[in-house]
Amino acid sequence: MSQELFYEDVKVGDDMPELVKGPLQKLQHVMYAGASGDFNPLHTDDDFARAVGMKGGVIAHGMLIMGFAGQAITNWVPRKYLRKFGVRFSGMTKPGNTITVTGTVVEKRVDGVENIVSCELIARDESEDVKLTGHFEASLPSRG
Amino acid sequence: MADVSKVGTEYPPITWEVERGKIRELVKAIGDPNPVYLDKDAALAEGYTDTPAPPTFLTVPMMWCEKMPSIINDLKINIMMLLHGEEEYEYYRQIYPGDTITGIPRVARIEEKESASGSKMDMVTVEVLYKNQRGEDVAKSKSLIIERK
Repeated sequence: MSQELFYEDVKVGDDMPELVKGPLQKLQHVMYAGASGDFNPLHTDDDFARAVGMKGGVIAHGMLIMGFAGQAITNWVPRKYLRKFGVRFSGMTKPGNTITVTGTVVEKRVDGVENIVSCELIARDESEDVKLTGHFEASLPSRG
Repeated sequence: MADVSKVGTEYPPITWEVERGKIRELVKAIGDPNPVYLDKDAALAEGYTDTPAPPTFLTVPMMWCEKMPSIINDLKINIMMLLHGEEEYEYYRQIYPGDTITGIPRVARIEEKESASGSKMDMVTVEVLYKNQRGEDVAKSKSLIIERK
């Protein structure tokens, strides 16, 4: 984490170090509800979740999975260099799922005084079901 | 059906005092042990002036200020048919403990789309530009909420 990452050291096609999270527990949904302030009972109350059509009970907050993606990013790129981070939620995550976040550098460009590295990322469970896809951009220091 | 006449509407500001403990609580819930979020000395050693807010921190003021439910209500969206489709952040400055951030939620877009299977949905984009106590832009959030019809 403390090792400096330079623009010149990153190539298009490089992979970000992958991050594996889980297996998820309901307790983590409760912790995330309290921390984030999202108390939708769909994430914490099995009876409620079943009543609204989730046969298996509660599902994780999408923002928790985005949080995992954020963890993966700032394990690799220091937080201070992150300029943009977005995701599209595509699948529900359930207790017991193990989530793997992977990412790839898709573009490098010089934008004014900033050296921008643009990446795509994806979070999947143990059955390769996609939970979210996303992108991020970081402005990295130059060796120059 | 989301109320299309609300595009451009601004809502009362979200104001949030950022605490070190709330940053710790959020990264603990995510399970992120990165010391820059937890330990001020580690953060200082990495060039921060304090423990910075992690990338998804802006969900905290949004949810704890309970702004989203009132916006959804004002847009006449059926909450039972609601999905969180996308979330995006642009970062301009770090957010640190002791900062007070203020953001004005704004309805940026409402579009009707048809899925491949032919079902219709409304795509509503809510943007919030956050400033700190010095009036500096710190970040922008963009949330896409989907109402299935």
